[in-house]
Amino acid sequence: MSYAYLFKYIIIGDTGVGKSCLLLQFTDKRFQPVHDLTIGVEFGARMITIDNKPIKLQIWDTAGQESFRSITRSYYRGAAGALLVYDITRRETFNHLASWLEDARQHANANMTIMLIGNKCDLAHRRAVSTEEGEQFAKEHGLIFMEASAKTAQNVEEAFISTAATIYKKIQDGVFDVSNESYGIKVGYGGIPGPSGGRDGSVTQGGGCCS
Amino acid sequence: MQEAELHDLSDDPDYVASQQQGSGGSENQKCTRKSNGPTEPNGSEVVYSKDNVAIHPTQYASERISGRLQLIKRDLSLFMTWIPYKQSASYGVGQGSRVKLPEKDRNLYTIRAVPLTDVRSIRRHTPTLGWQYIIMVLTSGLAFPPLYFYNGGVREFLATLKQHVFLVRSADDANVFLVNDLQDPLQRSLSSLELPRAVPVANVASSSSSLASVHSDDNSNQRSNADYHDSSFSPTESVGRHRQKVRDPARDLSIQVLEKFSLVTKFARETTSHLLRESQIFDNIGGYEKQQQVHSSPVKNQVGGDPVSQELQDKNQIISDPLEKIACRNGKLCEAAATLVGTFELIDSKEAEQQSLVWGKPRLPPLGHEEWATFLDEEGRIVDSKALRKRIFYGGVEHGLRKEVWKFLLGYNEFHSTYAEREFLETMKRSEYETIKHQWQSISPAQARRFAKFKERKSLIEKDVVRTDRSIPFYDGDENPNVGLLRDILLTFSFYNFDLGYCQGMSDLLSPILFVMEDESEAFWCFVSLMERLGPNFNRDQNGMHSQLLALSKLVEFLDSPLHCYLRQADCLNFFFCFRWILIQFKREFVYEKTMRLWEVLWTHYLSEHFHLYMCVAILKKHRKKIIEERMDFDTLLKFINELSCHITLEATLKDAEALCIIAGENKAACIPPGTPPSLPVEGGLLE
Ligand SMILES: Nc1nc2c(ncn2[C@@H]2O[C@H](COP(=O)(O)OP(=O)(O)OP(=O)(O)O)[C@@H](O)[C@H]2O)c(=O)[nH]1
Ligand SMILES: [Mg+2]
Repeated sequence: MSYAYLFKYIIIGDTGVGKSCLLLQFTDKRFQPVHDLTIGVEFGARMITIDNKPIKLQIWDTAGQESFRSITRSYYRGAAGALLVYDITRRETFNHLASWLEDARQHANANMTIMLIGNKCDLAHRRAVSTEEGEQFAKEHGLIFMEASAKTAQNVEEAFISTAATIYKKIQDGVFDVSNESYGIKVGYGGIPGPSGGRDGSVTQGGGCCS
Repeated sequence: MQEAELHDLSDDPDYVASQQQGSGGSENQKCTRKSNGPTEPNGSEVVYSKDNVAIHPTQYASERISGRLQLIKRDLSLFMTWIPYKQSASYGVGQGSRVKLPEKDRNLYTIRAVPLTDVRSIRRHTPTLGWQYIIMVLTSGLAFPPLYFYNGGVREFLATLKQHVFLVRSADDANVFLVNDLQDPLQRSLSSLELPRAVPVANVASSSSSLASVHSDDNSNQRSNADYHDSSFSPTESVGRHRQKVRDPARDLSIQVLEKFSLVTKFARETTSHLLRESQIFDNIGGYEKQQQVHSSPVKNQVGGDPVSQELQDKNQIISDPLEKIACRNGKLCEAAATLVGTFELIDSKEAEQQSLVWGKPRLPPLGHEEWATFLDEEGRIVDSKALRKRIFYGGVEHGLRKEVWKFLLGYNEFHSTYAEREFLETMKRSEYETIKHQWQSISPAQARRFAKFKERKSLIEKDVVRTDRSIPFYDGDENPNVGLLRDILLTFSFYNFDLGYCQGMSDLLSPILFVMEDESEAFWCFVSLMERLGPNFNRDQNGMHSQLLALSKLVEFLDSPLHCYLRQADCLNFFFCFRWILIQFKREFVYEKTMRLWEVLWTHYLSEHFHLYMCVAILKKHRKKIIEERMDFDTLLKFINELSCHITLEATLKDAEALCIIAGENKAACIPPGTPPSLPVEGGLLE
């Protein structure tokens, strides 16, 4: 499968905020509430199109639990984008954002594009963090912000794609040296639009296409 | 193919008679009582079962032991068992013999799942007066005492056997049947002596003394178990091959062992020493054959590619890899290990004896009820816990027995406890569990409001149990009470061990235990025992995990230096890609049933307390070629390893890990410092 660019994403945030559900909604377009909790890291991938260019997103869904952080941090290396997720019904997951951000800034590359997501916005009746607070935090820290729901799929597509669009723009603006893979971007060969949507587990199996 | 000839027993009047009477197959269906349908749940099939087959330990009729003889087929391997009847049981013992031997002496004679590949020959005796009996001689030179068929049926036995293994009448003695023999008369004789050249086109899995050609069968066997990673190099093959160069120590030892083996009867000794005498004669030819073997191309009939040249290729690629040379700061070390063959040879000759006992040993069928009973004395003590652990290491446990056996493996029940003691313990523990559980149950809402730690823990556990194995029927569906039990047990545990508390991964470890125990208190205490060992995996500072990852790195350095060199070069030496494997004992890498099988094998701590680390090495080694050739970086490797989930063949990996564990030998200690989980913490040790 060819692509113009491959972007590596990470999804981070407290346990239970819905990281895996967001990923599954984005790659498989379904919501599975009883999906196993994440140990270590899991993967997903999907093709999207930006500016008529096929772009492959390779997404790393990390475990949220605090005590795994010393290990999950090592997965940040070389990510072009990050989705930093909190749960709008659980205040503490919002309170922990600063520490997640610090972790990301320390272990990922400085030009990483970060999208802040207030998840579970379908549960408005149990809201514990207002939209304004989310916006405010994002503004202070230079993040893009969206509220989303992995359950209803609201804003899920948008969150992943607008992150990609931002990264793409940075490439156009010459922010990255795209030949340096530590930025989490790989240049594909061909650039012919490939099939979009759906999970793609063939990256490592097939090999070749991206090295 | 000359196969027809090979199988041909038409010159045997008994065989002909049995054919005319109806095939052995239909006959054995009559005898097969136990097997419910053709295949038992765990993939074993009883192909022959005969009651009232007896051993006569002494000349006294009162001491004869009756039992059931069975041939069991598992995968493509055939096993023979002879289990004596329980004394108390009212089986039709026949011949009015009143048995006086104590239970434990009776059990001495039990034949526990001997693979037919370990059988060299069978001598049939059909006296005109008295019972028919057979004597089986093993490739090791040992012989079982005569098995008397009180109800007849020797020919059916041979006919059934013939359908599953190569059985050829000896040229020298019409009553001797050679098992797994070859077409060529010279080789046939060699085979009967189990000289290193001779193991042939057997259609059964390899045994400890079989060679490369049999591995190919073995491979196809594993492949039929739906593994498609299997064709790559495995260490077992390599070492199995190199065994050709050394003498078969089992044979050298056999005479000595025979003298000590009190069960060998006069008849068996005659048969055996006859064969051993022959073996002296053929020794020279055998030696010549062996040399030929080393120089000429490897054995034919390779189904899954030729392991020798594959290994050579493998080696060449690694040596000629420029990256490798740059990568290896410690060039000498790399070179030594790149010559995997060399390393193996060295150890091979040093520890030939050990290896011959274990190498390529086919996995046994899981331990079943009848056999389990033989491990217990009248009061329920496990007399020989090591033998039990060994048995389980090689075959696991039937599901129905897990509830009982796991309690011993986990250390909740002591091997030496009696039925009565265990019953007492259970009652005590049940009330102790209730007491601890009550500690959190009695926390009032008002109290909870001022107990943040408790609330936090409770909500974390509640969030996790609903995300644990919900696709397994035992836990699926809304409001499943078993999910509630998971929660209660974990919460109770977090009070029992408040310092450790709760950490993700624990629910994965508890889930199969509760599934097996089906009892809240027992599952709790088994989990407690497991956490005695695995607790450090969940320490906040992750030191338990780090020490295991470090040990793994050292093991890989020792057992697969080319891979280690590559990983150093790729900056992957932290082995974080194995994190999930180790944290929850491969729980996410296998389907549920296989996880349980693996765990019971690990929990035997039979060859090593750290067998899980050898599992890691075995899997990595299997994919080493791909990892190096594709120049996987950390991300790619992590993704690759993650995606191996559910594509790892358990039985083959266990065999490879077993081999690696033996190769590691004394170096284990250097690689794995004391106190590394899941060892119990050392006194005043590193990890507490
Ligand atoms: N109502 C609602 N529930 C959600 C939503 N997203 C996730 N959930 C629920 O939240 C729970 C946790 O979601 P996960 O995706 O497993 O959380 P995670 O962030 O991956 O957690 P870890 O893997 O432990 O780090 C799931 O059981 C879902 O039922 C959402 O958008 N709306
Ligand atoms: Mg998750």
